[in-house]
Amino acid sequence: MGQVGELKLKELHVGDRLPTFTRQVTMDKMIEFEKVVWDRGRNSHTDAEIAQRDGLSKPLASGQNQMAFLHELMERTFGDSWVYGGKISVRYIHPVYAGDEITPNAIVKEVVEQSGQPRVQLEIWCENQNGQKTAAGKAWAGQPSASRNWMLREKEHTL
Amino acid sequence: MSSPALPNEPWEAVEVGEDLGSLDYVMTAEMIADYRRVVDNPHAAYPTVAARHPANLFYRKYRAQLRVPNTGHDSEYFNPPLPGKRINVSARIADKYIRREKPYLIIEATATDEDGRLIEISRLVGLARPIGEPAHAEVARKWGK
Repeated sequence: MGQVGELKLKELHVGDRLPTFTRQVTMDKMIEFEKVVWDRGRNSHTDAEIAQRDGLSKPLASGQNQMAFLHELMERTFGDSWVYGGKISVRYIHPVYAGDEITPNAIVKEVVEQSGQPRVQLEIWCENQNGQKTAAGKAWAGQPSASRNWMLREKEHTL
Repeated sequence: MSSPALPNEPWEAVEVGEDLGSLDYVMTAEMIADYRRVVDNPHAAYPTVAARHPANLFYRKYRAQLRVPNTGHDSEYFNPPLPGKRINVSARIADKYIRREKPYLIIEATATDEDGRLIEISRLVGLARPIGEPAHAEVARKWGK
């Protein structure tokens, strides 16, 4: 099984696994995440009492935390090929709580041609510190691009 | 299609194709910076990644009837939002189905900016829970937590 390493321009092949990273989920981050993405007040992602009312023993991290980690993995590897035209389908399959360490993963399952362009299909998942899968699904992007045009566009726009 | 294990009249009343209306807001540089800080990704392209678009519009209409804990997400990305641009979001009920005797809703939100650039199409997969039932009881039942 190949490792892509730092060669972001290297063409991906079936079986290649993307280099990854690990993020710790903390209660402070869960609370701040909820405030930042949609401040709707106390909820089962931020508050122990409401979590218990909703049937949980403690606050549950939003699935979108994991989505953010998967996004970062794809952005790092694919650049513009993900940001302009990427697609993802993910299901949250195991709860994530404060204190968990989450690692996003991706492995190339197929490379096909669509409208004359290569399209990479990946199996994606997140796993916790115990090796349990917490989210699983698929993602699609073009072959990795060295371009990071969204950063340039943003910079030009804010100047 | 089989019937849900529990009566769920609010879910039954939701119609596929139903328009959930629209909302708009300005994506500020501060909002983008806040999102990047909280996810520890200084270059995150889509601060809209969270379910707020579909869920926000869904709850505007159904807050008193249903909750839709997010069990998954299907999204397509076209153009990252630019700071200072107004974003318009429209949403609809894209699908509803029963799986393993549980009722689900697919809520689709499409976001464009004030210049007509398509930003993303985001589909929230929600387990439909009537108000009054613990929203995360299924997680507790399955994982004992």
